[in-house]
Amino acid sequence: MNIVWTVVTVAALAVLTVTAPQSMLTVCLDSCSQAVTTALGLMGIYCLWLGIFEVADRCKLVEGLSKCFKGLNKFLYGNVTAAAEQYISLNLASNLLGVGNAATPSAIAAIKETEHTETLSRSGAMLFVVNATSVQLIPTTVVGLRASMGSANPSDILLPNLVATLVTSVVGIALVFCAYGRAK
Amino acid sequence: MNYVVPVLLIAVLVTGLFKRVNVYDGFVLGARKSFDLTLSVFPYLAAIFIMVNALHASGLDVYVTKLLSPPFRLLGVPEEVVQLVLLRPFSGSGSLAILTDVYKQYGTDSYVGRCASVIMGSSETVFYVASVYFSGTRVRKTGWAIPIALFCNLLGAVTACLLCRII
Repeated sequence: MNIVWTVVTVAALAVLTVTAPQSMLTVCLDSCSQAVTTALGLMGIYCLWLGIFEVADRCKLVEGLSKCFKGLNKFLYGNVTAAAEQYISLNLASNLLGVGNAATPSAIAAIKETEHTETLSRSGAMLFVVNATSVQLIPTTVVGLRASMGSANPSDILLPNLVATLVTSVVGIALVFCAYGRAK
Repeated sequence: MNYVVPVLLIAVLVTGLFKRVNVYDGFVLGARKSFDLTLSVFPYLAAIFIMVNALHASGLDVYVTKLLSPPFRLLGVPEEVVQLVLLRPFSGSGSLAILTDVYKQYGTDSYVGRCASVIMGSSETVFYVASVYFSGTRVRKTGWAIPIALFCNLLGAVTACLLCRII
């Protein structure tokens, strides 16, 4: 990340300084302001879902969810702590329901549980890949945008989309198995 | 389908009532955690946005798109959506803007428009997600995680363009 970010940013800023020096600082400052507004928006989303998750946890609902996914979690992640397993289950449920916003806080909580060193563990890598390739039943944003822009049949992309996400999920998980071996 | 999430949300709160859990306290305690979470995510957002916006303002993104169009054509990905495939790992709002442009220029129901739709739906903002996910940890070496996710994005794009020809 360090190398990718530094090389790309330096190259882009250097070109910008040559072609449009007056706009260089504006671009940087605008980006930081954009980060502030985005972060505040995210905070609202996290606030709702973390609140609901806490209630669900106190009702022992998360424990139940975690039991439902036990087999799958064991296969994908191996032995992780009970807390990590619960967050992973919440994350999976959010992804399956298409609530990507709720998937983020649970994934972050799970990763905090599984990672203690500088090198990403197998379970962390698996969780990341599962989220990055997650199976999507309904791509809400895309279908909505198509409808608003006058598509005759906004949802005719559902089937190809489902197949494409299935392919990427299966290949992604298989590649984690290739790179890191079976779950311990 | 529109009812699933709202009903689940109410169900959680009602279960709390029946199980005599302090629902109010629980919600407040959980919601408080969003503050720390946002704080740890925020600087990573700033870094990503600077990179993406500088890339766009400098015009380097258009140059790289032109450079990479021929190899993408070999994989069956039309030139019109290459920019979307390339920007997607970095920025969600940026790629949504490109998707809107593609719709405006070629129509939502054209082959290119459908390709772009499925590419958008089946890929993820890999670098953005990585910086957010690992923000609260000491992880600096992410190993195979990012290369695998990027490869899957590419595979998703190729599959999308292939599927849109048949389905």
